Amino acid sequence: MAKIHVVTDSGGDLPKEVREQFNISVVPLSIQFGDDIYRDGVDMQVDEFYEKLRTGDVLPSTCQPSPADFVELYESIAEPGDSIISIHLSSKLSGTYQSAVLASSMLPDLDITALDTNSASIGIGLVAIAAAEALQQGKSKEEIVAVAETAIEELNVFFMVDTLEYLKRNGRIGRAQAMMGTLLNIKPILTLEEGIVAPFEKARGKAKALKRILEAVGEIQQKYPDRKFRFGITHAESLEDAERLEERVRDQFPVHDVFIGPIGPTIGVHVGPGTLAVLFYPV
Amino acid sequence: MNVIQGTELKQMLQAAAQHLTNEKERVNDLNVFPVPDGDTGTNMALTITAAVKELDALETDSAAKVAAAVARGSLMGARGNSGVILSQFFRGFSDGLKGISQAGGIDIARALTKASQTTYRAVMKPVEGTMLTVGREAAEAAQAAAEDNQSALEVWNAALKVAKKTLADTPKMMPVLREAGVVDAGGDGLVCILEGALAGLKGEVAVETLTVPASAPPEERKEPAAVEREEGITRIDGQLVNHYCTEFLIKGQSFDIEAIRGRLEPEGDSMLVVGDEELVKVHIHTDHPGKVLEYCGTLGELTDIKIDNMKLQNESITTDDKTAEHEEPKGEPKPIGLVAVVPGAGLAEIFESLGVDVVVTGGQTMNPSTEELVAAVEQVHAHHVIVLPNNKNVIFSAQQARELVDFPVRVIPTRSVPQGIGALMKLDPEGSLEDNVSEMEDGMRQVLTGEVTYAVRATRAGDLQIEEEDIIGLVEGKITAAGGSVSEVTLGVLNRMVDEDSSVISLYTGENQDFSEAEQFAEVVTNTFPDCEVELYHGGQPLYYYIVSVE
Repeated sequence: MAKIHVVTDSGGDLPKEVREQFNISVVPLSIQFGDDIYRDGVDMQVDEFYEKLRTGDVLPSTCQPSPADFVELYESIAEPGDSIISIHLSSKLSGTYQSAVLASSMLPDLDITALDTNSASIGIGLVAIAAAEALQQGKSKEEIVAVAETAIEELNVFFMVDTLEYLKRNGRIGRAQAMMGTLLNIKPILTLEEGIVAPFEKARGKAKALKRILEAVGEIQQKYPDRKFRFGITHAESLEDAERLEERVRDQFPVHDVFIGPIGPTIGVHVGPGTLAVLFYPV
Repeated sequence: MNVIQGTELKQMLQAAAQHLTNEKERVNDLNVFPVPDGDTGTNMALTITAAVKELDALETDSAAKVAAAVARGSLMGARGNSGVILSQFFRGFSDGLKGISQAGGIDIARALTKASQTTYRAVMKPVEGTMLTVGREAAEAAQAAAEDNQSALEVWNAALKVAKKTLADTPKMMPVLREAGVVDAGGDGLVCILEGALAGLKGEVAVETLTVPASAPPEERKEPAAVEREEGITRIDGQLVNHYCTEFLIKGQSFDIEAIRGRLEPEGDSMLVVGDEELVKVHIHTDHPGKVLEYCGTLGELTDIKIDNMKLQNESITTDDKTAEHEEPKGEPKPIGLVAVVPGAGLAEIFESLGVDVVVTGGQTMNPSTEELVAAVEQVHAHHVIVLPNNKNVIFSAQQARELVDFPVRVIPTRSVPQGIGALMKLDPEGSLEDNVSEMEDGMRQVLTGEVTYAVRATRAGDLQIEEEDIIGLVEGKITAAGGSVSEVTLGVLNRMVDEDSSVISLYTGENQDFSEAEQFAEVVTNTFPDCEVELYHGGQPLYYYIVSVE
């Protein structure tokens, strides 16, 4: 009998145990430090990455998986006639989705649906979890895709960076460009609009930024009165802050579940240490 | 003298300007608050001086035309709240003389009555015991005298007599005046004007030369009051540190931003090093621009080098900005432009970095005139302009400026620098004007302001006995700490401001504050309030050792 598989990429920041629990396969992006190339989560783990980012003298960049990488993964998990739902980083931020689309055209024996989440970090991961859950409930491919598309539609993200420099240097700053160059120590709160980084607000200091993020979450939550929410909280070397944030999220909002984890190298390259992100959608 | 013609009215107003200018220091000293700013006498004197300047070239014998010219001139020249009220007084006065070329007693009474009514309408919540009361009771006396068929001179005389009496009564009407042991400064300014005008009418004074030019050149902007008070500051050792604002680009390859930062950090403050591997922008306030340039020159090619002396710039920044701005080619107007009034060079840079288009220096020692604010607003290349007065004594003139330009301008009533910064946190350059106004007003309210200065005279404030020259600390405009060192008073102020919800303390140093001492003090603040992030910036404001904010 034909099977259905859920695939995502390393930009989804799903912790290993979650990937295993939901049986989600991951295509790694590559991190390039000068001439050295590492596959995210394969040749390079999170701690190693931030260590190298701090101490190294070259600015890393990321490289999307090639269509061939996708073909290899798809063929390794699926038999002819199977379906694959492949859930990826915003196509405005990375060519990963494009590679998945190309790979699917190269594999006529597999029924592959590539989805552009317009999101990043665990936003992608939450959509993959939604799809995997639907799969476990025995839903059809069409139903699973519909579930994933609704999650994408209702997904929200707010994130705070320590500095805008990483986004700027990697050309991912989008419309937050206007927030650059202030002489005060300001924590920019950002969001994604149609897959592009956009400014949300400025805050003086981390505590205030996190408070504002929670207020912003609250405003959106009010629009869905009878719904519970699935949250993802990710952090770049700020576990304590992330845990405090989780505690407050559980306190203040109707929570369905919360997934918390580190921001991996793929996203870390672009946002830098100290970043905290809250992503959520109504279940 | 039965009637007042244009020539006489001109003479009266010129004499009034002269008299108030002579008396302005005495009026300044009547400030209820013993803080070295908010100079009512200076503001009113400069306002009326700007007003009578309109008369220089006026050849007319019509009282109405003279009054109209003065009304127009005072509107643009109005500085500070008292100046704005005075400009409204002249507007009403001119209304009352409309069509009257020779004013009799009844005309003068009507003009003074209209003048008073206009001042009441100009303020949202009229308070008795101020120049409003002085003007009203003077007008009532004029009215009574006129109904008694008295001459113009007699009517004026009656108005002045009652004005003086009302002025003496102001402490009975306002407890703060009684506590401070002074009469109302604005009321006194008005009495000076009525008194000078009467002397002019009687031909008792020669008014050929006016000593204060209507728009004072930069040097004179440091009016006597401020210069005198410089003595109070000299006890702080040291000069403005890091007073060269140095900016340039380095072009080259494989730059290590962190390493550059580390190397430049000890050379100054307000440092900003941003860029990528091939292009780095450096901004730093330093006393050694040469050293900074020399080091960076070893890394790559230096371009776009700009070094400004902030100490000198401090006094002439408004005019500099104007010329600089005019040279820039202008593209599409921005949806929303910003004008801010700030009291120091460091603060000017901070506001510019937060997106303010035109910075007007002033506020603490010198309130900008309506005309200066109009010019700043018109200079912004935008469809809508938002003005941040950042001083309670500038809000009024900003609102007056708003009415004098023909495109939408909104004033966010920020009463302090921290409130202005709080408002800017909420600025959304792409949002609508109305959304921005309501968000920025919200941002303004999320910040507490503290100020540390010194007393210009002895007074009591609640339980605090304050001697002249004592260091005093204000929270949200109220004196809450006094005596001791600047550090002790600043900590006292912060103690009143910080609560369990506070997360950020910002310290902005005054122009004569030693920055390395301030850095040591910031450490103390950090240790005293371990739950808060503490940030220190060079503000460069005169007279105030520290402006602090807690949010």
